Amino acid sequence: MPPPSAELLGRGRGSSAIETDVKARDDLRFINKPLGDPVNSLEDKWRLVPAFLQTKGLVKQHIDSFNYFIETELQLIVDANRKIVSDVDPNFWMVFKKIHVAHPQTYDTSRGVNRGITPQECRLRDTTYASSIVVDMEYTRGGQIVKKRNVEIGLMPIMLRSCRCVLVGKNPAEYAEVGECPLDPGGYFVVRGTEKVILIQEQLSKNRIIVETDRMGMIGASVTSSTHEKKSKTNVVYAKGGKTILRHNSLSVDVPVVVIMKAMGIESDLEIAELICGSDDQLLALLSPTLEDSAKLNIATQRQALEFIGSKVKMSIKTQRFGVRRNLYEEAKDLLATTVLAHVPVEMVKGVLYFRPKAVYVALMVRRTLQAIKDGGIVDDRDFVGNKRLELAGDLLSLLFEDLFKSWQATLKRSIDANLKKKNRASQFDASTTVSQTSRFITDGLFRSISSGNWSVKRFKMERSGVTQVLSRLSYVSALGMLTRISSQFEKTRKVSGPRALQTSQWGMLCTSDTPEGEACGLVKNLALMAHITTDSDDKMIRQLAFTLGVEDLNLLTGSELYRSPLTYLVFLNGLLLGVHRQPDRFVGSFRKLRRNGRINPLVSVYRSIPQQTIYISSDGGRVCRPLIIVEKGKSKVTAKEIENIMSGVHKFEDLVRQGRIEYLDVNEETDTNIAITENDIIYDPADDPGLHVFQPLAFNATVRTPTSNTTHLEIAPFTILGAVAGLIPYPHHNQSPRNTYQCAMGKQAMGAIAYNQLNRIDTLLYFLCYPMQPMVKTRTIEMIGFDKLPAGQNAIVAVMSYSGYDIEDALVMNKASLDRGFGRCQVMRKYASMVKAYPNRTYDRLCIPPAEQQNQNQLIGKFDALDIDGLASVGEKVYKDQILMNKQSPMETRSISGDDKSGGGDASSVPFRMTPLVHKYPGTSVVDSVLLTTNEDDQFLIKVRVRQTRRPELGDKFSSRHGQKGVVGIIVNQEDMPFNDYGTCPDIIMNPHGFPSRMTVGKMIELLAGKAGLIKGELQYGTCFGGSKVEDMSRILVENGYNYSGKDYVTSGITGEPLQAYIFFGPVYYQKLKHMVMDKMHARASGPRANLTRQPTEGRSRDGGLRVGEMERDCLIGHGTSSLLIERLLISSDIYDAEVCKDCGLIGGWQGWCQYCKSQSGIVKITVPYACKLLFQELISMNVIPRIKVGELE
Amino acid sequence: MNLGDAKGPQVTIRSIDHERKQLSFILWNCDLAVANALRRIMMAEVPTMAIDLVDIEQNSSVLVDEMLSHRLGLIPLTSTNIRDITYTRDCNCAEYCQNCSVVLTLNVRCDSDTNRDVTARDLISTNPNVTPYFSSEEDAGVVICKLRKGQEVRMRCIAKKGTSKEHAKWSPVAAVAFEYDPHNKLRHTTYWVETDALKEWPVGPNGAEEVAPGPDDPFDYKAKPEKFYFVVEGTGVMDPRDIVEKALMLVHAKVVFVVQDLQKLKW
Repeated sequence: MPPPSAELLGRGRGSSAIETDVKARDDLRFINKPLGDPVNSLEDKWRLVPAFLQTKGLVKQHIDSFNYFIETELQLIVDANRKIVSDVDPNFWMVFKKIHVAHPQTYDTSRGVNRGITPQECRLRDTTYASSIVVDMEYTRGGQIVKKRNVEIGLMPIMLRSCRCVLVGKNPAEYAEVGECPLDPGGYFVVRGTEKVILIQEQLSKNRIIVETDRMGMIGASVTSSTHEKKSKTNVVYAKGGKTILRHNSLSVDVPVVVIMKAMGIESDLEIAELICGSDDQLLALLSPTLEDSAKLNIATQRQALEFIGSKVKMSIKTQRFGVRRNLYEEAKDLLATTVLAHVPVEMVKGVLYFRPKAVYVALMVRRTLQAIKDGGIVDDRDFVGNKRLELAGDLLSLLFEDLFKSWQATLKRSIDANLKKKNRASQFDASTTVSQTSRFITDGLFRSISSGNWSVKRFKMERSGVTQVLSRLSYVSALGMLTRISSQFEKTRKVSGPRALQTSQWGMLCTSDTPEGEACGLVKNLALMAHITTDSDDKMIRQLAFTLGVEDLNLLTGSELYRSPLTYLVFLNGLLLGVHRQPDRFVGSFRKLRRNGRINPLVSVYRSIPQQTIYISSDGGRVCRPLIIVEKGKSKVTAKEIENIMSGVHKFEDLVRQGRIEYLDVNEETDTNIAITENDIIYDPADDPGLHVFQPLAFNATVRTPTSNTTHLEIAPFTILGAVAGLIPYPHHNQSPRNTYQCAMGKQAMGAIAYNQLNRIDTLLYFLCYPMQPMVKTRTIEMIGFDKLPAGQNAIVAVMSYSGYDIEDALVMNKASLDRGFGRCQVMRKYASMVKAYPNRTYDRLCIPPAEQQNQNQLIGKFDALDIDGLASVGEKVYKDQILMNKQSPMETRSISGDDKSGGGDASSVPFRMTPLVHKYPGTSVVDSVLLTTNEDDQFLIKVRVRQTRRPELGDKFSSRHGQKGVVGIIVNQEDMPFNDYGTCPDIIMNPHGFPSRMTVGKMIELLAGKAGLIKGELQYGTCFGGSKVEDMSRILVENGYNYSGKDYVTSGITGEPLQAYIFFGPVYYQKLKHMVMDKMHARASGPRANLTRQPTEGRSRDGGLRVGEMERDCLIGHGTSSLLIERLLISSDIYDAEVCKDCGLIGGWQGWCQYCKSQSGIVKITVPYACKLLFQELISMNVIPRIKVGELE
Repeated sequence: MNLGDAKGPQVTIRSIDHERKQLSFILWNCDLAVANALRRIMMAEVPTMAIDLVDIEQNSSVLVDEMLSHRLGLIPLTSTNIRDITYTRDCNCAEYCQNCSVVLTLNVRCDSDTNRDVTARDLISTNPNVTPYFSSEEDAGVVICKLRKGQEVRMRCIAKKGTSKEHAKWSPVAAVAFEYDPHNKLRHTTYWVETDALKEWPVGPNGAEEVAPGPDDPFDYKAKPEKFYFVVEGTGVMDPRDIVEKALMLVHAKVVFVVQDLQKLKW
C-alpha cells in the first residue's frame, strides 16, 4: 500500500505528521549499543523516544503550527477576504488569489540585488529574519482585467527551522556554514536582532460544553463559541427557583430556555421536554418550573418568543449594527442565528433559517445542566487538561494576520477610492501601485506585535500583552525550556488553588516538575518530552466518515430518539452534534481501526464518555497528545524487530504510526484507554476483549458494556512524563518533589555552553563556563536534548562532611587548587552597541581620534587609553570602568535646513558637535573581545563592541548540584589543608551533611554513588527517571575495586594528619555554576550621589546608592536605645537640612532670617530636619494644609 | 617528639615507579605532626617552574587570551635544577631576567586543511633545564589549543619559580597518599559498619606491613603512631625522590629558622 498523501489524510498542508528534519541527532537511535547486539523490546523500548524527537524535534509544536499557518491558514484567510470593490467606481474590483511566503531575502544595497539571509546575519545586524508575502491578484484598470503575479504585500517574520527557513533540511556541516548551531532547536523569530519566542498560551476549550458552578454557586453549562467572525459566551444556568435560563452578553436579562427553544421554532412543550429530558422523569421534574415559567409569560409561538427576546436585546448592540432599528422579530432572529452559540451554524434552507441544530444544542446544554443537578452537583473539571487548548505561534499569528489583512484592505480601498474620485488623471490609475505603496502596513503590524509582545486583535477585542518574550540565552537549557513553556491566561493574583494544582491528566503531556515558584506557580507549565500539539485540520471528511459508519443524522431524529436506550450515544464532532449512534463500541472501534490504518489523520481523537452517553470526535488544533504503543490481544505491537528497524534507520517513527503500531492519543482519549507502563504490566483476558465482539450485533436493549480492564496501550518510556529541563536531573524519582522543581528553576541559571556558535554571537549578556563537562551521571533525556554536547556544569569531587564552620547554611568549602586549575571558571561577555547616523541636515555622527595629551595627569588610567586611532577600542585591549570604548560625536543640530522652520536648522559644515561616547559602565577589568562594524536594515552604520571578563570563583559565588541544593562559596581552602582519601585525592568541594536530612535529596546520594562507580569503571552512568543504574550494581563495582559499598571513604585530615573519626561520603557530583556572582552584586559606599527631589542617598548599585537602614533595622536601633546612632543614620548621613522656621507663625520657609508671611525678621530660628520632612510640609502647604511648627528652647 | 631518639626518624623506600612517577616509602620512628608536615610541604612549598606571564602577540585561535594563558600556566615544566633559579621577588632585576625566569616561545600557524593541535611540544625553551615535561618520546604533550587553517598563535611565555601556596600550577605533586595504622589499632577512626567491620572495610595495601591485632588483644591506649606510609605521585616536573628530598630540606630549614630565632633571644 502506498503511503497516503497528506491531502488524503484530511490534514492541512504544512502540519508535519510525516516530516523528518533533525539530522544532527541521527546517532541517538543506536547510542550505547553496537548495531547487531540483540535488541530487547523491554529494555530498548525507550529508543523510540529519540526516533520520535528526530522526526519531530524538540519544539515541533511551534514549527508545525507555524508551517500550518504559512502553508494552509494564510490561504484560507485570503480566500475569506479576497475581494475589494470600490464605492466610487462600480466597475472596479480587485481580487486576491494565491498567497505565498517566499524564502527570507534581503535587498543588498551595495550590489543592488536580492540575496538570501541567514538568521545569524539578522542577529548580528539587528535586522529581522523575514520574507516577503506575495499574492497573485486580478483587478480592473480602465475597462481591462489585469492579472499580476507575486505582488509583495508585506514581510512575514520567519520562524527558525520552519518550512520557509533556510535551515530546513540542512546537515550539521551546512549549519556551520550559515553560522548556526545544529543543536539549536529553532521555533523562535529574529525580530530587529532579538530572538523572540511566542509562548504557548493555555486556554479553555472553545466550542465545548462545560458544566460548572458559577460564582453564585449555581450550576450551569457554558460554551465559549469561537468562529472566524465571532466570539461569544453562552450560559445555561439552573437559577434560583428551579428555573433554567439562558444568559448571553447581548441579552439584557436572563431568558428562560424554553422561550429560546420556542424562538428557535420548537413550539410544542412536549417536543421541548423530549429534546431535553428524553424519557427521564427526574429531569422532567427539574425542567417543569421552567416550562411553567414560559407559560406564565404567555409565550406559545415562535413569533411571540422572538418578539420577547427582541425586546431584551441590549441597546448598544442594536444601534451598533446598521444604525437603524429593525423590528424586534428580525432583531431576535438575527441574534439567535449569528450571535448566540455562534459556532453552531444556522443555514438558510429554502429562504428560512433552519434553527433545529441550534435548538437541539440548547436542549443538550439544558440536559447537561439538569443532569449535573440530578447527580448531586457533579460538574466538569475545568482544570482537566482535556478541556484545555494550547494556542501556538501559528494560531496567534493567523489571528493577527487576518486582522491586519482586513484593515489593510480597508485602507487600500480607501486610497483606491480616493484615487478613483480624482477627475482627469494624467494616466490610467493602476491599483497595483497602491498595493505596493501600502505594503508597510502588514509588515509593521507583524513586526511591532512580535517585538513588543502586545497582541491586539480588534475583531475579538483581544488585547494581550507579554505574548512574546526574548529568548533567554543564559544557557542551552534555558533557551530550550523557554520554547516548551506554556503560560496560562489566568490572572496570577487570584488565590485559587485549582488551576495551579498538579492535575493527574498532565501525565505525559505536561512536565510534572517544571514550574516556577511564587506567583506564577502552577500557571506556567512546560511540555513533557513526548507531548505534541495538534494543528487544525479539515473535518469535512470525518463528518462524512461518521455518517458512513452509521451515525444517524440529527435532523432526522426526534427528541425521544436521541435518548432512546442506554446504548444510544450522541456523536459530536469538534463540539457540534452530528447525530446518534446505537452501537458506540462498534463505532469507536471501527473509527480507531481506520485511523490506525492511516485513513484518517493520526491526530484525530475519538473517545466515548459513558456517563454522558456521548462519543466525541476532535480534529481541532491545540490539543496536547502523545504517542503510545498499541497493544492488541495482550501483545505489544512494537516488538524487538520494530525497534531494530528504528535503530538501523530502516524505519522512521512515523512509519510505525502509519503501520498502526503507535498512535497519538490526546488527553480525552487517554481516559478511554488502559495504559500499561511496562510490558510486564499488560493485562489480557480474552473473554473481556471488546475487539472480538465488536462486530456482533447488539440487542436493542442490551446494557452498556463496561470498559474492560484489558490493556489497550503501552507507554513508550515512563521518563517522558518529565520535560526537557526536568530531564536533566539524575534519579529524580528518589528526590522530594519540590527539589526537582527547584532544580528546574536553577538549571536555567546554570552557566555553560550555549550553542556551537556562541563565540560568534553578540548578545547583551552571555555567560560561558571555561571548561564545561558532560555529567558523569547522565540521563536519557540529557543525550536526547544534546545537553551532553552543550553542558552547563562540571563534575566536582565532593566530600560530604563539615569543615571549618564556614559551611553553615549550605555554604560550600572549595579547594583553592581546584579553582587554580580551572574549576568554575567562567567568561562574561557584554555588548555595547551604537549607531553612527546620518541626519536630515546632511550632518553625520563621527568617530574621533582620541584627543592627545588632554587628559588629567593625576589619573592613572586615562579615559581614552583603550582607543585606537579610528576612535574605537582595539581588540584585546583592557578596559576599566568609565573608559571609553567608542569615541563618538554627534551634531548638536540635526534638523534639516530646508524645512519650514529655517531658524533652527544648522549648516552641515558649521554645526557644533558634542561627545556621545560609548562608556564601559561595569566595575572591574574587561577586555575588548570583538568589534563589529555593519549596517542595519535602514543602511545605517552600526557598531557593536563585545567586552569579556574571565572570572574565577570567589567567596559568595553561587553553585548548585542538580537536586535543588544551592549554596554559596563560604571559604576557599588550600589543598594541603583539605582532607584526602587513601589515594591522596582531595575533594573539590566540601558540602555540609546538614543539607541532606531536611531536603531528602536521596537522588543526589545515588548520583554520587553512581558517579564514583562510573569513575572507577571508566564509563558514564545513567540516572534516568524511573530507571538508570541500580544502586546495587554501583555498590558491587565499588566493592570489586576495594571501596566500601556505601560510597564512604577513609579520609585523613589535611591539617593534623590524623584520620577523621567518621567515614566520609566521597565522590563526584555534577555541580552547576549559577549566574549570580558576587562581582555583579558587591556594593558599598561611603558618601555619594543623592536623589534630586528628596536629597536622600540614591538607591541601588547601578546608581552607586547607599545602603538603607530600613524600618526593621530602625526598630532594632530603637530597641537598643542607641539614639545618637539613629540620628546619625537617619538624619546626618542622609538628608540633613537646616530649615528656617518662624517662631511667630510656625511656618516653614523663612529665607535668610526673613519670614515672608509675618513680613518680619523677629521670629526666625533654624531647625535641623530631614529634607524629606521639609518637602512634606511644602507639599502639604500646596494642598492648603498648614503644618505649623512650635519651636521651644532645648532643655 | 621522637627526634631525640638515638636512631631518629628513618625512611624506608618501598618502591619507585618511574612510569607513574610514584615513590612509595615508609617514614618511621617519628611523630605524626612531623610526618604530616612533610606531606604538606611536598604539596605546597616545594618550588618548581611554571609559566607565569604570557606576552601575546597574535592569537586567532578560538580560545581567548586568558584561557590560553591559563592553560599554558598549567603545563608542567621540568624543574630539577630549580635551585639555580631565584625567585623574581628576590632578584635584582626590574621585571624578570635570566636568573629568575625562563622564556618559552610558542609560535604556531596552521596552514593545512586539517586541524592542528598546538601542544606543549611546540613550546621552545631558552633554557634546556626548563622545558615542558614529556613522559616519553611518543608523548605528544599537553594540548594547548587547536587551530584551523589560517589561525595562528604567537606568544612569549615567561616561566617563573614559585610554590603551590600561590597557585596550584607550581605544585610538584599530583597527589600524596598518606596513611598510618592500617589496622586501626590506635582507634583514631571509627569504622562505619552495618554488621561487620572486617567484612565491610577491606584492609588496604599497607595492612601487610603491620601485624593485625587479634580480636581479643587489649587496647593499648598509650600507643602512638610510628610508621607512616607515603605514596608521592609527582607531576613529572621533578623526580619524586627530589620532591621528598627538597621537602625534607625545607622542613629542616624551617627548624633551623626557629633555632636561629631562639638563639637571638636574650634572656
